[in-house]
Amino acid sequence: MKFFTTFRKKSPWILHYNAGSCNGCDIEILASLAPKFDLERFGVINTGNPKQSDIFLVTGPVTYRSRERLVELYTQIPEPKVVVAVGSCTATGGVFRGMVNTEDGIDRYIPVDVYVPGCASSPQLIIDGLVKALEILEAKSKEIEKPFKLFGAIETIGNKLSRLNMAKKVHNDEN
Amino acid sequence: MTWIWILLAPLLGGLIYGGERVLRARMQRRQGPPLLQPFYDMFKLLDKRTLIIHAPHALLAVAHFLVLWFTVAAIFLGWNLLYIIFLHLFAQILLILAGYSVRSVYSHLGANRELLMVVAYEPILIVVAVGFYLISGSFEISTILQGGGYWHQLPLLFVALLIIVPIKVKKSPFDVGEAHQEIVGGIEIEYSGVFYEFLYMSRFLEYIFIYSFVFLFGGESYWLGAVLVAGTFLVVNLVDNATARVHTADMLKIVYGVAMSLAIINILGVLL
Amino acid sequence: MSTLFLLPIIASVFTLLLPFERVHYFISASVLVILSVSAFLLYSSPEIVTFQLSHSMNLLVVIADIILLLYFLYQGIKFKSANVIFLSAVQLLLYGYVESIAPIAGSAEIVVDNLSKFMFLIINGVGGIIVLYSVRYMHDEAVSATKKSLFIAGLLLFISIMNLIVCANSILLFFLLFEMTTLASYLLISFRNDPLSRANGLKALWMNQIGGVIILLGALVAIEGFGTVMFDTLLKSSGGMVLFAVALLSLSALVKGAALPFEGWLLGAMVAPTPVSAMLHSATMVKIAPYLILKLAPVLGSTLLGNFFSVTGALVFVAASYLALSRFVFKEILGYSTVALLGLMMALAAIGTKESMTLAMVLMVFHALSKALLFLSAGVLEKQYHVKSIEEMKGLVHRAPKTVGFILFGFVSLTLPPFGLFMGKLLAITSISSLLRERPLLLIVVLSLVIGSALLVLLYFKVASAILSSPCDIHPSEKEYLPYGFSIPLWLLTLYSIAVSLGFIVLQKNLFIAWLALPLLVVILLPSMVKRMEQYDRIQPYHCGEKELFDAALVYYEPSIRVRQMIYWSFGMLFVAVAFIGVLS
Repeated sequence: MKFFTTFRKKSPWILHYNAGSCNGCDIEILASLAPKFDLERFGVINTGNPKQSDIFLVTGPVTYRSRERLVELYTQIPEPKVVVAVGSCTATGGVFRGMVNTEDGIDRYIPVDVYVPGCASSPQLIIDGLVKALEILEAKSKEIEKPFKLFGAIETIGNKLSRLNMAKKVHNDEN
Repeated sequence: MTWIWILLAPLLGGLIYGGERVLRARMQRRQGPPLLQPFYDMFKLLDKRTLIIHAPHALLAVAHFLVLWFTVAAIFLGWNLLYIIFLHLFAQILLILAGYSVRSVYSHLGANRELLMVVAYEPILIVVAVGFYLISGSFEISTILQGGGYWHQLPLLFVALLIIVPIKVKKSPFDVGEAHQEIVGGIEIEYSGVFYEFLYMSRFLEYIFIYSFVFLFGGESYWLGAVLVAGTFLVVNLVDNATARVHTADMLKIVYGVAMSLAIINILGVLL
Repeated sequence: MSTLFLLPIIASVFTLLLPFERVHYFISASVLVILSVSAFLLYSSPEIVTFQLSHSMNLLVVIADIILLLYFLYQGIKFKSANVIFLSAVQLLLYGYVESIAPIAGSAEIVVDNLSKFMFLIINGVGGIIVLYSVRYMHDEAVSATKKSLFIAGLLLFISIMNLIVCANSILLFFLLFEMTTLASYLLISFRNDPLSRANGLKALWMNQIGGVIILLGALVAIEGFGTVMFDTLLKSSGGMVLFAVALLSLSALVKGAALPFEGWLLGAMVAPTPVSAMLHSATMVKIAPYLILKLAPVLGSTLLGNFFSVTGALVFVAASYLALSRFVFKEILGYSTVALLGLMMALAAIGTKESMTLAMVLMVFHALSKALLFLSAGVLEKQYHVKSIEEMKGLVHRAPKTVGFILFGFVSLTLPPFGLFMGKLLAITSISSLLRERPLLLIVVLSLVIGSALLVLLYFKVASAILSSPCDIHPSEKEYLPYGFSIPLWLLTLYSIAVSLGFIVLQKNLFIAWLALPLLVVILLPSMVKRMEQYDRIQPYHCGEKELFDAALVYYEPSIRVRQMIYWSFGMLFVAVAFIGVLS
């Protein structure tokens, strides 16, 4: 319904996930939630729970260990949802680019809507990125969004989709 | 008139919750969300795609909300205080069963803690009801509200109630049942979309439930009741901002050691 | 009237003569129907039946008593139990002395008053169902056919003894039947005849014998003080010693009701086949305890002794609920909660106002129904799924949805509105609160009632947590095979419980209480929504992004050994203090 869609941007709840970051961006995210920058004035709550969040804030270049969790968390967020990649590593791999134990950015695995640059990105930038993300969120539909890789079985109940095992084991996906 | 109040109860609770978020923000010297933020959240949740684990889990949340609403309706209608407490227990058990019905560690931990919270506050609530009975000679809320003098005769009982208010509204130092940083919301964790909304609204109703107990201490003078509620509201939020979360065992110790003994002393004082 | 005593005996003879399962089904079903109907007819007729034993019958009682005590002595010597030998010898001596000075009966030995009729309803209604259930239970037991029929015959005989004990007016007759229930519990507990069963059987024997000794002492006091062995004459007489006799008799109720520190025998009885637990610990035998207190309540009433006794009972309620939190065997948990609720019933009965006595009776009915249901379900789990401890019950709802439904109903009917047990507690708080101003000591009863109820909620739903945990419902749960021999008794108990609760609400003539049933309607209507829930996407529980499922551990609250000892010591002191107050007043 059109009426409810207008409230998407008034209450964005975020899920923050560290996919192997150096903690620089995480601290900045926490700083933007804290009283000085006060993200809560936009209605933001840091839920820590994918099932109730709208915005997926990811930091870090995606280490091998964190890939499955990243995709699993992504699939557990109900639509409409947006992904905000915070920091240079998350966008391109940053200083970790080309290293053996990391991937170059999260957009190899999940679709990213907003890239926030900086190493580490500042609270101002993060808030800017979030506001940008809210515009995208308002325009999104409720169709199921799928991750690019590690995408596994979809089971059905009746003729409805089930998200069981949407992210498969890594070794099945490695070519 | 009463029926209108009953129908509007979730809205009223939502306003209290919104006001509380603003108040807490101001206590921390920040701007905070708008007053109507809880309703924005609710509308947004309606717009989300709903994911459930299994049907009984989702439906128990609905049942919890409905029974809680019924409880609040019973309060507005001025029913027997004991029925109200036990109806509330019933609602709470539905929620706890919901928490247990999924194979999720956080949900189970949350439900365990919720049970412990029930063990903590339930006896105090009943003792408060017994205290009202001793003074007014009735358990009916409508009769209790016609009497007066609870404030003078049951001061320690009021303090005991003050100790358990944070448990019920899930505020520090007794927010163990929810504990976002620790068990990610406890029972709430597996809900999303529409079904989470029922839990979100039942939180509003909890506010009305527990603050109406505070209101009863005003007796016939509604102004005194309102002042007590406002004072409690301020104190609870101040304590919430100023304290850390305690362990469940400590919560039980505080409730049974301090609140219970205060209540017993007060009732013995009334009796003898 | 005589049907109630004779039919079970006749039926048990037939069970022994015809050891075929179909015959057993037929016998137990017809016994159930006839007994329930005749108990109900008796209950609805207002007349009070009295019956005086003839001289030869009295002689028979004496002979039976002596044989029984000699048998106990023999068992004590056979299994080398010093406690049993000592207590049997004491009982023999005491009994000989009491019998030698006992006066000729002044009034009828058997009086069927309203209380007895009420007890008939419980004993025959619930007991009959348990016998019916035990036929199917014995089907899977690995023993010979003769032993199976012996077991069922024993249960039937037990119903007969119970029917007799609740209308015994003479203390000596009461003693004989009391000892016979002790014998029955001893034999039934050691039925499986392994070392553990035998040890627990002996434990039950000597603990209950303490109760026997105390009854004899009570009889002695009654004879010395008032020259009577009749309950009704004793309760009508006045004077200093009457309270002492009553105190002694009520102490024997504490023993029979397995109140702390005597709860050991009831918990030990859990090694026996489940129908025994159901029969002894839920429906019938332990109900002698509140029954005896109800009988004595007119005298206990508002005395210091009565107040003190009800405080003791209420403290047992809290302590037993607390101790149960450390247990993990399902039947032991049920046993502890039985101990707790018996304490509560005795507390309410000892208050002695008309209202509180009615409430004690209400609690007795509902407790019998719900506990029998739970015990029988536990038996089903044991037989069909080989599950005994609550740790093994994890995710049981997936394997055994029907049995879990019954267990859950049992829990709900023990704790939540609008079922009778909850109603009883609620009305009890109301009625005791109105007495608080005159009898401040009852404040402890109110507090214990409240705290104990909260602890019991914690206990039951802790068990529920293990049972209910189930993953995403994308795969349908298994179909459970529940044979009719199991499902019919369970359904009967469930329906009884619902019907009696509804009847109780209607009888209250209080509109508000009827409203309390409304929330239940919500719960009943919800299953119809399950079909509509198929439109939503399914998802796995959140495990921090991991895909493996984990289980949360169950919580246990284990009191330290010091605390445990302190609890036992203080209850021992309370036990002595009751007798002491009896002497003083």
